[in-house]
Amino acid sequence: MIYDVNHITTFEYERRVSVSHQLLRLTPRSHPRQRVKSARILVEPAAAVRTSRKDYFANEVTYLTVQEPHSRLKIHANSRIEVDRGDDAYLDLSQNWEDVAAQLRAPRTLEGIDASQFCFASPYIDFDEAVLAYARQTLVPGMALLPAVMELTARVFTEFKYEGGVTDVWTPVSEVLENRKGVCQDFAHLQIACLRSVGLAARYVSGYLLTRPPEGQERLIGADASHAWLSVYCPGLGWVDVDPTNNLRPRDEHIALAWGRDYGDVSPTTGVIVGGGKHRVSVSVDVAPVDQ
Amino acid sequence: MSNATSFGRSLLADYRPAGSAYDEMVTPDGVLRPHWQAFVDAFEAMTGDVRQTAVETAARMLRENNVTYVAPGSGAGARPWRLDLLPLVIAPTEWAALEAGLIQRAELLNKVVADLYGPQHLLKVAGFPPGLVYGSPEFLVPCHGIEPRDGTFLHLLAFDLGRAPDGRWVVLSNRTQAPAGAGYALENRIITSRSLPDVFAATHVRRLASFFRGFGDHLLSLGNRDEHLAVVLSPGPGRESYFEHAFLGRYLGYPVVEGADLTVRASQLYLKTLEGLRPVDLVLRRIDSDECDALELKVDSEIGVAGLVEAARAGEVVIANALGSGVIENEAIMGFLPGLCRQMLGQELRLPNLDTWWCGDPVAWQHVRSRIDEVVVRRAFAARSLISSGTGGFLRPEFEGMDRDALIAMVERTPHQFVAQNRAHLSHAPSWSGDGSARAEPIMLRVFIAATKDGYQVMPGGLALSAPLESGSTRGDFGKDVWVPGEGSIDTFSMLNLSLNSPKLRRSDRDLPSRTGDDLFWLGRYLERAEGAVRMFRSLMTRLAGEGSVVSDEVALEHLTALLVSQERMSARRARRAAAGGAKAVEQELSSVLFDPDSPDGLALVLSNLRRTGEGLRERLSADTWRILEQLTEMPRRQWRARSVGDAIRQLNAMTEHLSAINGLIQENMTRGYGWRLLDLGRRIERARYYARLVRDIAVSGSANDGGVLHLLLELGDSAMTYRSRYKATPQLPAVLDLLLADESNPRSLAFQFDEIAEHLKDMPLERRGGPASSAQRVVIAVRSELQLADVEKLASVMTKIGRRTHLARLLDRVEEGADELSELITRTYFSHAAEHRVSGSGTLDGGT
Repeated sequence: MIYDVNHITTFEYERRVSVSHQLLRLTPRSHPRQRVKSARILVEPAAAVRTSRKDYFANEVTYLTVQEPHSRLKIHANSRIEVDRGDDAYLDLSQNWEDVAAQLRAPRTLEGIDASQFCFASPYIDFDEAVLAYARQTLVPGMALLPAVMELTARVFTEFKYEGGVTDVWTPVSEVLENRKGVCQDFAHLQIACLRSVGLAARYVSGYLLTRPPEGQERLIGADASHAWLSVYCPGLGWVDVDPTNNLRPRDEHIALAWGRDYGDVSPTTGVIVGGGKHRVSVSVDVAPVDQ
Repeated sequence: MSNATSFGRSLLADYRPAGSAYDEMVTPDGVLRPHWQAFVDAFEAMTGDVRQTAVETAARMLRENNVTYVAPGSGAGARPWRLDLLPLVIAPTEWAALEAGLIQRAELLNKVVADLYGPQHLLKVAGFPPGLVYGSPEFLVPCHGIEPRDGTFLHLLAFDLGRAPDGRWVVLSNRTQAPAGAGYALENRIITSRSLPDVFAATHVRRLASFFRGFGDHLLSLGNRDEHLAVVLSPGPGRESYFEHAFLGRYLGYPVVEGADLTVRASQLYLKTLEGLRPVDLVLRRIDSDECDALELKVDSEIGVAGLVEAARAGEVVIANALGSGVIENEAIMGFLPGLCRQMLGQELRLPNLDTWWCGDPVAWQHVRSRIDEVVVRRAFAARSLISSGTGGFLRPEFEGMDRDALIAMVERTPHQFVAQNRAHLSHAPSWSGDGSARAEPIMLRVFIAATKDGYQVMPGGLALSAPLESGSTRGDFGKDVWVPGEGSIDTFSMLNLSLNSPKLRRSDRDLPSRTGDDLFWLGRYLERAEGAVRMFRSLMTRLAGEGSVVSDEVALEHLTALLVSQERMSARRARRAAAGGAKAVEQELSSVLFDPDSPDGLALVLSNLRRTGEGLRERLSADTWRILEQLTEMPRRQWRARSVGDAIRQLNAMTEHLSAINGLIQENMTRGYGWRLLDLGRRIERARYYARLVRDIAVSGSANDGGVLHLLLELGDSAMTYRSRYKATPQLPAVLDLLLADESNPRSLAFQFDEIAEHLKDMPLERRGGPASSAQRVVIAVRSELQLADVEKLASVMTKIGRRTHLARLLDRVEEGADELSELITRTYFSHAAEHRVSGSGTLDGGT
């Protein structure tokens, strides 16, 4: 599938902002199942300084500074991406999860060393005994890795309620576990915490999702949103994505933007401003299939 | 025992080495170690009087230099630094061996950090455990790939050392983040050497100044501009080692700034000064790396500079130590250092570590688990502060009293977060409380190493920390100086009168940070506000005491309470209640709030504002000014229970004297730079506001022609004497108004304030000299001409219909508006780019289907 993505973030400020620094992770990355055909970011008012580079996880980061006084900042990311449908024939090939955890403790391959960085607590993902206990209900000795991961995904899907507004980016995993509700980011953080608590490597993926319109209806522009899921390291297979919010393995309806240890590494926009007073953010994401 | 005899006691008379620990001063059979001989001889030669003087000198210097320390997490404020005058003496040959070992270690650690933030051969090729890096909260991924301009990541390091019973020095911890203590070491040295000058000379001690010069020179040489600007980035007053930040800044000649003083534009770091933005070449970082940039590091940090990582990446600024340097400041890495040293330097590690096993290594953990009762388990990556990890941190187990199985379970849950260590040993050295003889106490030695143009150099001395032997003592550690006797000639170079940063003479304070300018401006305003408040209360109290020389005190009393309300020194409710009850009630109300530290009325609020502003400027005020300010602002807290009117008046008189003393010192001691001008601008603006309100509240309404009220006006306007000498008659309103409003020769008149403001503006950097006037200058011109053109007879006349002096009211309103407008214009012109950063909403995540 080929998609056109338009992701527009608008900040409106009570008072004028004199300087605004923004760090953007809004350029989709390419990976084996995904090719970026074009990507650009438009900023209004124009940035005085703008640089782009690859971050530690090879995501594209754009750093910009707006220096002209403004009370409204619009960031428009526009891209065209081709995504292949994955296949899940290898599901039952995976190894015992405990063997994988043991390998990650003392990795011997470059890939394993790289993966091992996703085994530890990170700024937004900490885990306690409750998380470990929750994980152990599924990750019992002797189980194969991927079936265990899929079962955990299903549990998060069924045992947690999707509810916006009850959590924010700072909500700790332990609180999500206790309250059993949250949004995609909380579910991704929780499942990552579970996997890391038993020594597995899991990373956080931010991206987009195509929302299917109900039968016979036009797809609503802007109804789609930023999404988040996770990826688990399986030696021999590489990284396998799972989406606990929808209880599925992403195919060609998930478009990856960036990945890292947690939300903090991939936050689409992070800003520090001078002035501004109170502010309001509105975000619209539109993922439209390109007619072929 | 009398003082004289106890001070005169022999240092060694009752000194007994304790237990099996190595004793620094005497051998196990009680013989003095040779390198202490010169010291002990000189010390024992001091008479009791001389020793007493030494102790007093040290105490006075600690107090006057305001040497303080803030224990992190204690919730308490800064406490005085504790210094034990007896230094730790270390033999020159032994020191040479330590130096070589520490330099090797610094080189090794610098290489390790460079690799982890660069090619990562250690991880990819050398089999270094990934958990040691990725499991460390101080491995900051945004800093990966940043190459410091000079290739050095660690410019200043510190090592904590302890000595085993067999006499070997053992490294207890490596400090690479932003090592604290070098400033305290220097301060200890200054105080100890001045308190014991003869002993110091006789011991032939190596000096510290060259070390700081080598370090400072090298840092400055890293700048890529002709006129370098280096700053000390501090979290600000109230943090653990703020004293040291300020002290080092002064010593090295770098401005001490906070994150809010800096800004990044186009990948270049700037200091916000009164003249605008000045590029910064070098940052001596005194805050943890992850707090340095809310954009790329910890997003909720309020003490960093947004964009600093980007500036470092662009290579425009050298940050010492490099961002992320804390990655190896942990216990976990210690056990790996011997191997790393062989691998990276091809040498054996010269100075051993405290034996340490990282539990994240399954083999090591198996080994340690079996002897868990013999080892000490500690957190591997815990941030440890300067003092709380002092001797106690090594002598007391971190998980004291935790049951064996619980300990094992805790480690096994997240093994990489723990280390096990053999018990640390500390040697003993003599400690001296000032009188009597010395006692043996455990000591830890912190040594400092800096990058210089000739490679790493060790400070020939350091900071020793000692604590009493009794367990459970809450006394905490004392700092001690460390003396290394020199073998050849002593380098007596001193930096005390030499500012490294100013090869050229510099006469203006153009590097004055805007925020400091803002604080000085408000210091001026609060000083004036406090003076006005004290004066009002004193007038009121004098009348209550029946000492007033005026005719109708009742009317004056009424005016005064009204005035206190309008000047926000007393709530309207309280004033009403008081007025209803007459003089006695006023007295009661007043005496209960006047000095009450918890009341919003009275003097507490203005004094606490004054104190807070003064604290922020501590480093810019002379020691005397600070001392008087401290006394002034502490008066209410100490004495507010003194409730008789007489007492209160005495106290208010004392406050007036203190305020005059502060003003005199500022006038006499502060150089006429921007800082002084801003302070005086604040004072003038506040005074203009105060007088405008004062005259309006007292003279605008009809009854103002009686002598009592006019006397009050002159008294509060501090112009009574001038009036008497000039008119020699009972006050008349037109003449009083002329004196208080328009008389340019009266330093208390409104006209005088605006003349002074005009003078100051002429010298401020962003105003115009010649050509069109700036906005602020225009406001001053307008107000001045109104004051000059005012007809006092007309001002004094009452509009019969409404019973008010409307011309007067209008003029005074105009003056007050002008003062407020000026304050705002000055703020906008000079301080507004100091406005605080705020993190904007980073969350744009709404969730999926």
